[in-house]
Amino acid sequence: MPDLHELGEAIKRGDRDTAAALTKAAIETKIPAQEILDAMVGAMDIVGQRFQKNEIFVPEMLIAARAMKEAMGLLEPILVEAGITPVAKAVIGTVEGDLHDIGKNLVAMMWKGANFDVIDLGTNVSPQKFVDAVRTNNAQLVGLSALLTTTMPAIKKTVDAIKGAGLDVTKIVIGGAPVTQEYANEVGADGYAPDAASAVDVARSLL
Amino acid sequence: MNGRQRLLAFLRGEPVDSLPLMPITMMFAADHAGVKYGEYATDYRALVAGQIALADAYDVDYVSCISDPAREAADCGARVAMFDDQPPAIVETDALLADKARLASLEPPDPHTGRRMADRVRAAALFRQQVGDRKLIEGWIEGPCAEAADLRGINTLMLDFFDDPDFVHQLFEFTLQLGMRFARAQVEAGADLVGVGDAAASLVGPEFYQQFVWPYERRLVQALHDMGALVRLHICGNTGAILGGMGQLGCDIVDLDFMVSLADARRVMGPQQVLLGNIDPVRVLRGGTPESIRAAIAQCHRDAGPRYIVGAGCEVPRATAPANLRALTEYARATAP
Ligand code: B12
Repeated sequence: MPDLHELGEAIKRGDRDTAAALTKAAIETKIPAQEILDAMVGAMDIVGQRFQKNEIFVPEMLIAARAMKEAMGLLEPILVEAGITPVAKAVIGTVEGDLHDIGKNLVAMMWKGANFDVIDLGTNVSPQKFVDAVRTNNAQLVGLSALLTTTMPAIKKTVDAIKGAGLDVTKIVIGGAPVTQEYANEVGADGYAPDAASAVDVARSLL
Repeated sequence: MNGRQRLLAFLRGEPVDSLPLMPITMMFAADHAGVKYGEYATDYRALVAGQIALADAYDVDYVSCISDPAREAADCGARVAMFDDQPPAIVETDALLADKARLASLEPPDPHTGRRMADRVRAAALFRQQVGDRKLIEGWIEGPCAEAADLRGINTLMLDFFDDPDFVHQLFEFTLQLGMRFARAQVEAGADLVGVGDAAASLVGPEFYQQFVWPYERRLVQALHDMGALVRLHICGNTGAILGGMGQLGCDIVDLDFMVSLADARRVMGPQQVLLGNIDPVRVLRGGTPESIRAAIAQCHRDAGPRYIVGAGCEVPRATAPANLRALTEYARATAP
């Protein structure tokens, strides 16, 4: 009987080969897809919390996310078969003029880890590109990242563009080191999170 | 005392007339001098004129060759995007060492004939001609970890620590040699002090820092001292978890970014280490008033004690009000260490 606890541990330490092998074994022994998924999501939650508490750092977080991605790739077809769909469709990117992406990548990974279907638009993304992606994908959630004070106005432009395009049902969450809750209120974003772990909580609470 | 005398005396532990002042200015200096940042970063004459004008206007104790992290990478052959009025940016999606195998055939560029590195060496020489003995002259290089991130792609390097430690060591050996050569050229041209920017080091935890980063930073610091240069370490970001190692590098000056507690740094690094910083460049320096800035910098001084140099956690942001930067000058000049 493959051990879901071990699967979680493999993800936490970023051991993608073991994570993949255990996921395969779990699928073969017909463990319900939902249980496998829960084990993965639970593991990523803990990874996020450890990062939040400075117990682990960017490299540890990135390899855990990579192991999660590998395992998730194997599980996805099974989830589809079982009729388990992602909790939400999310679009994420770093705003126009800004090339910082490490924090955004971590948020994207935590969202994937929470079983969101995440479309990552990369860095230096124009407001129009966000609007187009939200529309084509019917996204319920958008994440905007900015690390420079000089690119914070691009958050406002993007929020305005999304709301202005009549996509009001889409919830917008913003973040990045210089961004604050007050700024989120000011520009009319629906949520703000200071780090990748709370980005999941905020997104869940909005949906 | 002029700026150079003040800093040299202070770093030797001798008495000085007031606190030294060393805020990092790049875009702010270009704006002050009325030149586009693209020109500031690519024409040493614009950089030197901008730095001198700024240092004279604000009584800053030094001038610096710093402009952007892409000089070494550009001369190694990395793709770098240039802008009219923004700092050059390395194109990470097309990183030079996306294929690790390329490292074996990569030669460290000659700092005298390389395009962007030679421009910085010329800046050091022109500073020597133009500021003479009035201000301390700072050269600048990327630290081993930051330069490795510039060449390999920072996201990829973070995974390499786990996937291929041997490669990381080879890469850091390369970036160490590159940094040493570049520093030597700047010191020979006239730099008194070499600033080492190792921003990517703030992303790793204490174990990787000790295992991979510290040994190369340590060798770099020793090599710079052997060249007769003073050393300033600048790691942007939250270095709270690696302060212990940073304090044991033997740097003449350790900068701290605003997310780090100066009191913690002082406790960890001991009473002798010269600390520089660390008000929040954006919220406090740009967003505050001269009064709030004075209060914040006085708190930094109290936390750091007498071995302290006035500055912000990182670059003085563009569009900082002149009166706000002047508040730093006034505090420094009116205060004894
Ligand atoms: C690495 C780095 C770079 C790398 C970026 C590489 C990359 N691929 O990302 C390079 C070298 C390219 C770079 C360039 C520049 N940088 Co830079 N950089 C940094 C540094 C050291 C670390 C940023 C980082 O990755 N942190 C780690 C991650 C995990 O943290 P994070 O990004 O904050 O993300 C967390 C949260 O904010 C949140 N979050 C982030 N995004 C989102 C999104 C959502 C939706 C949510 C909910 C949450 C969320 O969750 C994340 C995880 O917990 C910081 C210093 C610092 N400590 O912040 C400077 C810093 C961000 N850079 C700065 C500057 C000024 C620049 C340059 C202009 C420098 C120059 N003069 O050349 C250029 C600009 C280039 C550009 N156009 O974007 C300044 C910004 C100052 C300001 N506030 O305006 C900083 C703060 C340095 C400083 N102290 O001054 N930089």
